[in-house]
Amino acid sequence: MASLKVGENREINTDLIQKAYSLAVKAHNKSSQKSYILEKTGGSSYVIFSFPGYWSENDWYDGEPFGETKINLDLFPSLRSIGIDEHAKVNKVFLQRFVDKISRNQDFRKEAKNEKKQIVFTGHSTGGSVSTLATIWFLEKYWRSDASATSPLCLTFGCPLTGNHIFSHALRREQWAPYFIHFVMRYDIVPRILLAPISSIKHEFQPILQFLNPKSTRASTNTPPEASNFYTNVMKNASSMASHAACSLMGNTNLLLETMTNFTTLSPYKPFGTFVFCTGNRKLVILSNPDAILQLLSYSFQLDNEAECLDVAQRSLQQHFSYGNELKDCFNKLDALLLESLEKLPLSADSTTASSDITTINAALKDLGLSIRARLCLCAAGELEKRKIGNKNSIDLKKADIAMKYLEDYKLSCGRQGLGCYDAFKIQKSTEDFEANVKRLELAGIWDEIIEMLKRYDLPDAFEGEKKWIDLGTKYRRLVEPLDIANFYRHLKNDVTGPYTEKGRPNRYKCTQRWLEHAQRMPAGSCGESCFWADVEELRIKNSSKEGFAPFKDKVLQLEEQAKKWINDKVLDKDVLMENSTFMVWWKKQPETHKLASCIKDIEGFKITSV
Amino acid sequence: MDTSPTFSIGPELAKFVVSSGVLNQSFATVRDLHGEIINQNEHRVRHKVSQQSNCTIIAFSSWPGCGKDYILERDLVSSSTPEEKTESFPLFNFLSTKTNPDFSINKAALEHFASIRDRLPNLKSQIDNSKVLIITGNSLGGSVAILFTLWLLETIDFSITKRPLCITFGSPLVVNNGLQNAILKYPTWSSCFLHVVSDQDPFPRVLIAPHNPPATESASQTNVYKPFGTFLLYSKSGCSCFEDSQTILELLMATYSEGPENQNPNQVLELYEKIVEYLSRKVICMDATRLLQWTTPQRADIINIQLAVIGLMGPPQSLQLQGQNNGLDNLITKIEKQETELAESRRQGFDPSKKLNEVKINMANLEWYKKYSKERGMGYYDSFKSGSTQPDITVVGFKKILTQYWVDMVDEAEKKPQKEGASFRTRWLGAGTNYRRMIEPLDIAEYYKGGGQDYIKSRRPEHYKKLEQWLKEKPLSVPNKLKKQNVASNLTEDSCFWAHVEEARISCQLLSSRESSDTEKELKKLRKFENYVYDLMKYYAVSPEIFLPQSSFMQWWKDYEKIMGTSYSSNLSNLMKDYDKYATGSLEIP
Repeated sequence: MASLKVGENREINTDLIQKAYSLAVKAHNKSSQKSYILEKTGGSSYVIFSFPGYWSENDWYDGEPFGETKINLDLFPSLRSIGIDEHAKVNKVFLQRFVDKISRNQDFRKEAKNEKKQIVFTGHSTGGSVSTLATIWFLEKYWRSDASATSPLCLTFGCPLTGNHIFSHALRREQWAPYFIHFVMRYDIVPRILLAPISSIKHEFQPILQFLNPKSTRASTNTPPEASNFYTNVMKNASSMASHAACSLMGNTNLLLETMTNFTTLSPYKPFGTFVFCTGNRKLVILSNPDAILQLLSYSFQLDNEAECLDVAQRSLQQHFSYGNELKDCFNKLDALLLESLEKLPLSADSTTASSDITTINAALKDLGLSIRARLCLCAAGELEKRKIGNKNSIDLKKADIAMKYLEDYKLSCGRQGLGCYDAFKIQKSTEDFEANVKRLELAGIWDEIIEMLKRYDLPDAFEGEKKWIDLGTKYRRLVEPLDIANFYRHLKNDVTGPYTEKGRPNRYKCTQRWLEHAQRMPAGSCGESCFWADVEELRIKNSSKEGFAPFKDKVLQLEEQAKKWINDKVLDKDVLMENSTFMVWWKKQPETHKLASCIKDIEGFKITSV
Repeated sequence: MDTSPTFSIGPELAKFVVSSGVLNQSFATVRDLHGEIINQNEHRVRHKVSQQSNCTIIAFSSWPGCGKDYILERDLVSSSTPEEKTESFPLFNFLSTKTNPDFSINKAALEHFASIRDRLPNLKSQIDNSKVLIITGNSLGGSVAILFTLWLLETIDFSITKRPLCITFGSPLVVNNGLQNAILKYPTWSSCFLHVVSDQDPFPRVLIAPHNPPATESASQTNVYKPFGTFLLYSKSGCSCFEDSQTILELLMATYSEGPENQNPNQVLELYEKIVEYLSRKVICMDATRLLQWTTPQRADIINIQLAVIGLMGPPQSLQLQGQNNGLDNLITKIEKQETELAESRRQGFDPSKKLNEVKINMANLEWYKKYSKERGMGYYDSFKSGSTQPDITVVGFKKILTQYWVDMVDEAEKKPQKEGASFRTRWLGAGTNYRRMIEPLDIAEYYKGGGQDYIKSRRPEHYKKLEQWLKEKPLSVPNKLKKQNVASNLTEDSCFWAHVEEARISCQLLSSRESSDTEKELKKLRKFENYVYDLMKYYAVSPEIFLPQSSFMQWWKDYEKIMGTSYSSNLSNLMKDYDKYATGSLEIP
């Protein structure tokens, strides 16, 4: 039983791949009403869901020039960047088809839920996009919550790009990207189509789809006359997209790139998962770096010379259906090259003194038609990945935890002196308070830098999913944010900018709060315990006005409930209840009748000596 | 040390430009303009506005086709030339910055631009803000396009309009280093210029001295004309983009391959037509760049690629003869250095936010110092002036760091053009004001301690003046209850307060020692100061720390009371009876 190595410790049975392909094609031809096929074979360790493709222009583009739309976060809560809260984009029609035909399909839901064996989702062409969404849906719904479940697998063949860079980023963060394996023939045009806006291919698209549709009765096997134009337009857009991406990969500093971006429309789509490129002569090239895959999609699709345009254009359509034979040949004599450490890629194809490893790589890259410049682009993609890891290492070196240790001690020492650290810090009386303020600012510097890097996607995609950092961020937020709030209200910044939670809250706390909420699958905004003091301050200001207690009763009750819950959950410190804390001083001023019934009194540790 | 290679984006950027189709689009309009039937009586600069679905294109061409000599004959015109001689210079006055008051423009280009002066309002009215704008032209028409774009940039609000793109085909150089520097200071502005230059076109090279290529050594140093923006250099073997102006000058000369047939502007136009068409076809093909054998990229190798792309380097065989190729080697080394420097300076750039937290720490230290001094009963102004304790000495270090930061910051804002500078100022003004109010008293203390006089007129540092000036653009706030209650934690709003106090003390001294020749004048000054303090108190704009027992202000008050006598009554003297109420906001001020 042969298997294909697609990454470190990741191998896939070649029989399964071939079986999946035949089922993916079978799904197209199925004349029944079913929007998917479920294949269970006795004795095997998996079941296969396969999804059919669709073949009209409206099955690709709707609305935007590239047919993209914001992802539906109810179905796909993970498909976003966490800290800065950017939502992924996905092809609108593919998403719609998945929602209408699959996720609302009771049979499908039941069959997916009850399956104990490994589930393989597969699809050819646009069917691959639907299988991708089905896989993510399954991961969100069952895999995330059930650690004992078997991981799913998604195998696509000639599948169009489906989501944007945040889509790709999120899958890598969740460690889900390895479950997706995409097979792409060197010249298959379908995976490249969405790199072009509909306006650029409007005239040719319908006849091309007509030709590609396996259900249509073709007049002949001849490719349609539009093939050349179609190929040229898609290739031009792919080249535009890839060269723009390459400039960024290489650390562009020329602002002309930015100005130019207004004068052209660039595809938002970005690859994710592992791509297996079939060179067309029984070799496979496998890589998982999304930036490098994008470059490869463009460079391997180029012409060698202008004369072969018609020939390549025809092949770009024919290869969409040649996965079966190609893979069979490839698997007979497995010649697969796993491209890792891209930054060390040999750049010269003419090397004579090279080792056998390099000779193998050279031969494979040559089969994909990669010039020196193409290799430089792959190399730059590797360097970027390396740089991101370097950025993370440099943050690790800043030792945010050591500065935090000082503040923990500060908090303890405040407690011993009978005043919570919020109030002590706000009064700024002793040298320790001053030192704490300096530490607070040092930490702010470290965390602001992290947030800046997140915004620029300059950290490894996995960063926001790392437990170590989520924990550190949470600890930091609960310990230091009260000090920021104390500082904010000490300097009356609310007077200038408005309430802290609305206008004054730094991103470093918003981000770290979202990290925790996402990791624990809690609703957005539910981990606001570190903002407790700001709520107290705001209510105190409103409450002290002439209007009295009545108009704020609901707010007061809510604040008390939260205090109780958070203190009991041990996420809010008990120094809130200290005799002279801002909170207690304010609370004591509330009407007697209210206090008697207040839930605050039920909190363990509540004691009051004088009212 | 980071040893990873720095990539050259030149070839990739060029590929992006070509594949985006902007060259075809803009050149088509230039060609159409040239194809129009020409009326003999027409202006020497013609233009065409082409409205397309996604953009507006404005093309310029010069008539009659001006030859090389025409451009050469006419030299630079300086912005300091009297106005009546250069009717168009007022249009560019906005380009002179403080660091760059004087600049020059090529006379031929300026004359051409001046000739369309009457058409400018009409042209501008045809620009549709909802679409992007391309401004283009070939040869001298390209120079007009450059000047038109510069003229336009000043009036554009970038927050609602996208940047225009000026694409020239074979334009001569237009400006001297004065103007080049001015434009390079506005990074978003220079990003609007893309100059396409063929290796066979003499016009872009005509103003580069000396006129005999290859002159890789001296070209850049002696030349008065300077490039700005991005150059897309083309040769048979391909094209690449360059941004460093020295590199561009070197390469313009090094890549020139003269052909007798290209002396005529119309033939040059055909040249560009072929280039644009060829590039657009080739962009979907594999590039043919071949190079030496190497396995890991080095910086120099990557420069080699760029040069190979624009045809300066042949296939590997010819490179084996490197010994005979010293000029080229030098060029590579030079370009490598220049490109690295440019990229480095861009990356590091002046990033105020990066240091902000560090600066805040220094401010926290000062806040602490202020508190320490208050507890000593003299306020930080007088504590610093006395310089008697360790903290007074330590704080000098914090002050120095803060001052350096804000001097740089203000300088940076000053260098920017009016509009960019304005947004910069609003972002940093809060922190800047805080800094000014906290630190300037220390500068004043130092100055008067050394026996200085009249700080405001004779000694006040520029950056404080600027910071104050920018704030004045905002209205003053009327004190509310909260402001009154918290006056204790606020800084005195007028950062020159202590200079006024010192001047008042000097007046008192003169009066009591009867040195002054003009008693009335000194008394007038003192009454003015009195009113000034009264107003500050009324607006709760002064820190209650001035009332600390050992403060200079209280010293002044004692001296002043002595001079004026016990029966003296004024607005201020009434307030001074209860000044201790001021700190809690409970002092009633009529």
